[in-house]
Amino acid sequence: MKKISSSFLSGALASALIFGVPLAAQADGHEGMDVPKINATIVLKGLENPWDMAFLPDGTMFYTEKCKGLSVRTKDGTVNALYGVKGSSGYAATGDDLFCEAQAGVLGVVPDRHFAKNRILYLYSSSMKYRGDGCKTNFERCDGNIVMRFKVSDDLKSVSDRTDIVTDIQYKPFKSNQPFGDPGAHNGGRLRVGPGGYLWVAGGDRHRGVCPQDPALLCGKVLRIDMDGKAHPDNNPPEGFDKRIYTYGHRNVQGIDFRPSDGKAFTAEHGPWHNDEITALVNGGNAGWDPAQNTGGRGECPDEYCGYEPNQKEGMDPAVRAAYTPMSDTRFKDLMPATWNNNGFSQGTGSAAFLKGSNWGIYEGRLAVGIMGIGFGGTPPGSRIDMISITPDGLGINGITRMPLGFSKRFRGLVMGPDNALYVSVDAGEIYKVTAESMK
Amino acid sequence: MLRFSSTLLVLTALISPQTAYSADKALGEIRYNETCINCHGPAGKGVASYPKVSGQEISYTTAKLEAYRKGIEQGSNSFLMIPMAKPLTDEEIANLAVYLKDAKYVVE
Repeated sequence: MKKISSSFLSGALASALIFGVPLAAQADGHEGMDVPKINATIVLKGLENPWDMAFLPDGTMFYTEKCKGLSVRTKDGTVNALYGVKGSSGYAATGDDLFCEAQAGVLGVVPDRHFAKNRILYLYSSSMKYRGDGCKTNFERCDGNIVMRFKVSDDLKSVSDRTDIVTDIQYKPFKSNQPFGDPGAHNGGRLRVGPGGYLWVAGGDRHRGVCPQDPALLCGKVLRIDMDGKAHPDNNPPEGFDKRIYTYGHRNVQGIDFRPSDGKAFTAEHGPWHNDEITALVNGGNAGWDPAQNTGGRGECPDEYCGYEPNQKEGMDPAVRAAYTPMSDTRFKDLMPATWNNNGFSQGTGSAAFLKGSNWGIYEGRLAVGIMGIGFGGTPPGSRIDMISITPDGLGINGITRMPLGFSKRFRGLVMGPDNALYVSVDAGEIYKVTAESMK
Repeated sequence: MLRFSSTLLVLTALISPQTAYSADKALGEIRYNETCINCHGPAGKGVASYPKVSGQEISYTTAKLEAYRKGIEQGSNSFLMIPMAKPLTDEEIANLAVYLKDAKYVVE
């Protein structure tokens, strides 16, 4: 054996010498891999729950703080506070109907694709303006989230011409006896502009059992709309559904982005003590979340919401929970199966962005996913950013690599900048710029 | 003088039995960073919908943690806090309380 090994090694060495191939490359192929050098630096700090960011081509960065409002950091680093919630100070203007409460507040922001010409910016927030009489209990529709359209001034110091283009996204008005049961729960809120320039709005189920599968309510849905809030003409929800709905059956989507190679939309959403999920969206598809009571083999549930059953306040095997109220219920024929389910864990999967640019080396094209992590019931906290390689069909993954940042925080918002850096907001109050340097 | 000091020490021990354990701020920080930080953020500053827990009097934090440890509900996220507080020892609660009183978040 020893002699054979020696002969083999001699042969390999001879081959390497003859063909000029390094031994390391022959051994495992790593020689040709471009593993980028990743580094994080702080862009802004001392913020109050920064939630989302959006960029112009010159590096101008709009950002939101959940309980304060919308601001912009210009390319020279100047910060202008543009539009605040009721009672906020220092903003050029305030919306007296805007407010924050628990998970709700001023959330998603994104510029129109023709911003350079029209100066239009979209903003998602909780609002008192359209509640009407529908918020007397947690079991009414309660329209408490809106999408606004603004015009941004040329000097980036103010916004004007507010138009509310979506006024009927539901909101949880009262506390309930649920985990995280405060008002404003499961409020969704991410906005992105997708292929063709249409606006995508990611929603949550607002702790109401009937929301995700209801044809008329916008809670637990992903919308695809135009700049006036009207449905994309090709949206294909089931018969009788609101035409603005692109997909339904969601729990709480806080991440959405579009794969650079084919424009396909992927969402990231929180699981209920089990199964955070990444999902490849299909026009008119059902993500499979149905926390309604008296359905799917379940009986009555606390506050008519089975989302944390069968045991909502104590730790138990996530697989048992998943069997009781699945994130992706296979009884639905139009189910969009999950691309990834976080190994069965719920760790607070929040935001997601595809990594763009050759500087990301072997990670280019992967989906970066921000995970916040609370470590309940034996689940490891896992505050991290995962870089997930998704299969071409979008139905599975090739592998996951944890982004080597050297620190852990609650990674709330992820978005690519025009400089091919990943910008990341963390709940502690910072916005980081994460750069990748190709080693080629 | 010596007699006066001895008397004072005995009186102090009788009035505040907690002084039997001298709380350790550094150990409190280590314990905080093991689990508490995941929800309450660095240095107890409070993040997302999880409240700020720094800057409170030691007696306040101690009482809250002891109540959670007993399984007493105190707000909407008690289901999270009760299992977290259950395994805490008296010493750990004392260390956490003294650490959180003056904890300040410094961005590195």
